[in-house]
Amino acid sequence: MGGSEHMVRFEQVAKRYPGGIQALGEVSFDLARGEMVFLTGHSGAGKSTLLKLIALLERPSRGRVLFDGRNVGRISRRQIPWLRRQIGIVFQDHSLLSDRRVFDNVALPLVIAGVAYPDIRKRVRAALDKVGLLEKERMYPPMLSGGQQQRVGIARAIVAKPPLLLADEPTGNLDPELSADLMQFFVSLNELGTTVLIASHDLDLIRRLQRRVLVLKDGTLADDVPARQVAAP
Amino acid sequence: MSRRAGSQSGGVPWPGGVRAWARRHAYSLLSSLGALVRHPLATLMTVVVLAITLSLPTGLYMTLDNAERISDGWERLDTVSVFLDVEIAEREAVQLASLLSTWPGIIAVDPISPQAGMAELTGRLQLDDVSERIDANPLPWVLEVTPAGGQDIETLSGRLRGAEGVDQVVVDLQWLERLGAILALLERLAILLGVLFAVAVAFVIGNTIRMDIHNRREEIRVLALVGATDGFVRRPFLYSGFWYGLAGGLAAWLVVELSLFVLSGPVGRLSGTYASDFTLASPPWQVVATLVLGSGILGVLGAWLAVGRHLRAIHPS
Repeated sequence: MGGSEHMVRFEQVAKRYPGGIQALGEVSFDLARGEMVFLTGHSGAGKSTLLKLIALLERPSRGRVLFDGRNVGRISRRQIPWLRRQIGIVFQDHSLLSDRRVFDNVALPLVIAGVAYPDIRKRVRAALDKVGLLEKERMYPPMLSGGQQQRVGIARAIVAKPPLLLADEPTGNLDPELSADLMQFFVSLNELGTTVLIASHDLDLIRRLQRRVLVLKDGTLADDVPARQVAAP
Repeated sequence: MSRRAGSQSGGVPWPGGVRAWARRHAYSLLSSLGALVRHPLATLMTVVVLAITLSLPTGLYMTLDNAERISDGWERLDTVSVFLDVEIAEREAVQLASLLSTWPGIIAVDPISPQAGMAELTGRLQLDDVSERIDANPLPWVLEVTPAGGQDIETLSGRLRGAEGVDQVVVDLQWLERLGAILALLERLAILLGVLFAVAVAFVIGNTIRMDIHNRREEIRVLALVGATDGFVRRPFLYSGFWYGLAGGLAAWLVVELSLFVLSGPVGRLSGTYASDFTLASPPWQVVATLVLGSGILGVLGAWLAVGRHLRAIHPS
């Protein structure tokens, strides 16, 4: 790859849902390769929609969304899987399969890619180890707490080592201590080269990490605060 | 790492080459089996329905097959019995027999003496002491005439009736012809039923897969979210359809064999009363192979119909 210096680029992107609800209007920004950015704003400000547009879970109504220099709006249905394999997504609702073991949940992206089983085992266990759930690999998600399920979702998002990681409220269900640990984990991922975009309303935590912050308000970009201007608390 | 993933796939339908493709197939195969095993009761119910559905046309086919074997044994009855006048004695009967055997359209003439006729009759009816009780043998000489193939039996029997010393000419063919016609009719019926039941099997499996898809929509959604292709999502369901069909076909075979076993006793006793050693034949391997593989293919077909229709509705974007 390495086609574009921008991992993600939004050019006057608008998203209107059927029924006339305007989720995003005229949003433009760049996400540089290797950057770590927080996306914040009230609930309903359009954070989730913005993330969905990148992974083509939704298509923009107007404007262009570029991923690695490629206009995702023109990606055909057949090529969507290719795009999604470049992006690790941590979902707000975890989106785990409750009738599969933790190990198998995390292994899914590798299985889909056709990775050999010994490799899968090694990489899944490494990912589970990173989120501190290695001893839970044989459990089923409903046996875990909300926070643990969230971490399984994170392990799944990073197991295939995608160049871009999107996370939608990854600390939503966690206590402050765990939240801080998890954010630190994202920071270390970023330091290893992964581009990270995290939607969160945990402003205290965000301030402490001193990274660039995009502020969404009523579907438009209200503020774009560079990392050096983010005031430490 | 990301670099590798990018260069591997690049929108190519087979990212990662043939080995990765084979691994994905192996995964689909195993996961489809796993899905069936996880719901043993539902799977069993579907398989039983399929087995009964498939055993009906197969059973009918086997009935016909056996009936045809019986009637083949009766082909020797494809003869004309010429009953001579009672006064005709052995010498004249033999003379007439050798005369008739020179007729065109007649292959062989076999004279049966009244004694031989009586012996056969008593033997067949199991009335051993009848001949002892009857003083005079009432049976005439009979000439068994075997007509040449393609000979018009009506014309021949007319000519035989006109011959000197002939009392009656009995052509025992009409019921054989009727039997043949009935068998042909049943055979057509079996084909018709076979086609209808095959369609039923495809739809039963299609409907089962449709419910399967419905129950696993969350899994389908998640697979799509983490980058599964349509093919990857579809494949386990096609395999499931194949397993359903295969299991249904095998179970139907079992049902047919079991039915034949249950019927073999009564059939043996019945054929014994006809002094026959007829036994029911099991389906030959070609029939079994057609049944099992055919129903497997029908399963894939049914699954394909269901998957094509319902996957698109679930799959995001």
